[in-house]
Amino acid sequence: MIIPFERLPKTTATLLIVLYAALGSGDPSLPQRQKRVVRSVPRQTRQFRIERPVAVRRASRYASNRVLVRFRPDVLEAYADGLLRSYGFPAVRRIPEIGVYSVDTAPGVSVGETLAMLRRNGDIELARPDYRARLADIPNDAYFLNYQYNLRNLGGYLDVSPEIRPLMTAGADVKATTAWDVAQGDAETIIAIVDTGVDRTHPDLANKIVSAGHDFANDDDDATDDHWHGTHVAGVAAANTNNGIGIAGVARNCRILPVKVTDANGDGYYSWIIDGIIWAANQGADVINLSLGGDVDDPMLEDACKYAHDKGAVVVAAAGNDGVGMVLYPAAYDDYVLAVAASDYNDAIADFSSFGPQVDVAAPGVWILGPAPQWYVGDGYLPYLFASGTSAAAPHVSGMAALIRSAKPDLPVDDIMKVIRYTADDINRALFPGRDDHAGYGRINMTKGLVPYILK
Amino acid sequence: MRERNGRIQRALGLCGTIALAAGLASAAEPKIKTFAAGLNYENLSRTVVWTGDTSPSKIQANLISARADLGLGKGVVVSLSAGLSLSNYKALVFDTLPISLQFGGATVSGFLLGAEVVAPIKRFSDFELGGTGRFVYSMGLSKTWPLEDFAVEGEARGRAGWWEAAVGPRLSYLFFGRVVPYVELCFRWLRADFKMTETLGDLGGTELKLVRGDLSFSAALGADAAVTDRISVKAKAAILPYVGGVDGLISVGVLYKF
Repeated sequence: MIIPFERLPKTTATLLIVLYAALGSGDPSLPQRQKRVVRSVPRQTRQFRIERPVAVRRASRYASNRVLVRFRPDVLEAYADGLLRSYGFPAVRRIPEIGVYSVDTAPGVSVGETLAMLRRNGDIELARPDYRARLADIPNDAYFLNYQYNLRNLGGYLDVSPEIRPLMTAGADVKATTAWDVAQGDAETIIAIVDTGVDRTHPDLANKIVSAGHDFANDDDDATDDHWHGTHVAGVAAANTNNGIGIAGVARNCRILPVKVTDANGDGYYSWIIDGIIWAANQGADVINLSLGGDVDDPMLEDACKYAHDKGAVVVAAAGNDGVGMVLYPAAYDDYVLAVAASDYNDAIADFSSFGPQVDVAAPGVWILGPAPQWYVGDGYLPYLFASGTSAAAPHVSGMAALIRSAKPDLPVDDIMKVIRYTADDINRALFPGRDDHAGYGRINMTKGLVPYILK
Repeated sequence: MRERNGRIQRALGLCGTIALAAGLASAAEPKIKTFAAGLNYENLSRTVVWTGDTSPSKIQANLISARADLGLGKGVVVSLSAGLSLSNYKALVFDTLPISLQFGGATVSGFLLGAEVVAPIKRFSDFELGGTGRFVYSMGLSKTWPLEDFAVEGEARGRAGWWEAAVGPRLSYLFFGRVVPYVELCFRWLRADFKMTETLGDLGGTELKLVRGDLSFSAALGADAAVTDRISVKAKAAILPYVGGVDGLISVGVLYKF
């Protein structure tokens, strides 16, 4: 079924195309498109909208005025505080859970000079730039109907548009419906969406939100989404289900904790993400979804993931959308984070999906329907959009982790991670039998992970 | 700790059974009036609620045993049996294992030991009121199932055991001579444990399910028939009602009198 939609003004499209070109893109053949779904169906016109792909690097790889510092374990906190003050930094903030300092550089002093100065001090173990992360999503450029093949794929054509009608393979899905027969999750299980925030007024999310969350980009207690990405991710993970509207979420009855760690452009710094992860863990999140990542390995980001992991949260992150052999961080922190690749409606690995030995599993990440803020899609449109990317794949895994946690609250985090890995379907076994760097153990299978295995 | 307690209780039960049987046989040896031996088959179903479960599931057991009946005079008969049990724990779910496991049609075999005493108390015309007591212990053997269709190799290993004690009155009708029908009412007490270990690559877990003591009541109709002077047949059918259904028991034995 094809959704009719309104034609946007040509000027808007032109502006966006220019913006897209100016910002640059990776491979233009990638499905970096995003669709808006119209609220009503009176007309049969259509309009593709081109959005800036969030995987594009647009600026410096790290904050120009801030660094992250960690002292040696034997250095007292009071001494460390005093030492940093003695350098004359305008702002120093400690992240007590992992003993890391976020330090604003002195005016007129570059990050490189600051780091060089700090690294000369023998009491300092690590001094690193505050790297920039980016969302792991690929926007769409067309509209189409609410069609969640990702949860239950019966085959046939996916009506993206008259021009885009891929033939789907039945069964190329996460097997959600049979898993829901035995596990729908409970409201006590919390999925933290560490992202651009979440639209708390969205009709498919409003009664699933635990609290206003926290905004580390603007440092306030309102993690309202000023982008669209976090709202989409939250919906895929745990949209209100069986309510007669919108879409179904993977973790039907679990709730969402919004944590905003990026600005309105979808860019965030490692320090914000570190704060977001730790804050979510301290709030008791059972699962932390990170549909974002950066290129740079940073032990302090890893520390934050370890902190959340050790506190009992299953940490899930997107592998990245560059289609290259390098998994983004924090997804690449193999011991503490499940790295998720993207598969499509035929159980093929998406060509944009980054790969590497850290990839744990795959989940559908092409043309995934999710909620979007009404202000973003515009009046007259349904507040939903289709998006592609490992960002959209990760919340499937987070949802599954939440269902397992709901069903087996005493199961250790590492065991939940292994259940997700070992119950996956080896979708690319013809090319790479067994675990491989593209799909990991395979596309997640909720039924195998949640429905009891029958002993015969 | 719980598992250890279960083992101790099973061991005590087994020792008790053997001691009781040996004691009775030993004490009765000079007084044994009759001796018969043969085979016995019993089919038992019992609906129980295992620890941690909210809904009941069934234990279905087929028991095949060699049986020896020792007549001690005054109508007292002590039966000792040993054999094989095949138990099906239908719909039992191990839900705290990393990958939940559920019994389909699988059976778990085990060794069976049993002792039974039937003693007449009083006779009224053609009726005889007696008492019966019975203890059956099924010591399950370890069984392994491969866990297939996962990304890594795995297996599940289970070991189950149960014991049941029953005691109650028996009213026999002696009018027919060679065939003695009876009605038997029993209180039945069942304990069971099932240890399941799952291994899937480096993922593993163990779950112990218990029935700490399920009390039930049975009403049985049976008959002991002397087919010839030496061959006799013993048959019994019982119902065990519970809230929402009825369990059953059928027992048939053939004995040769020496």
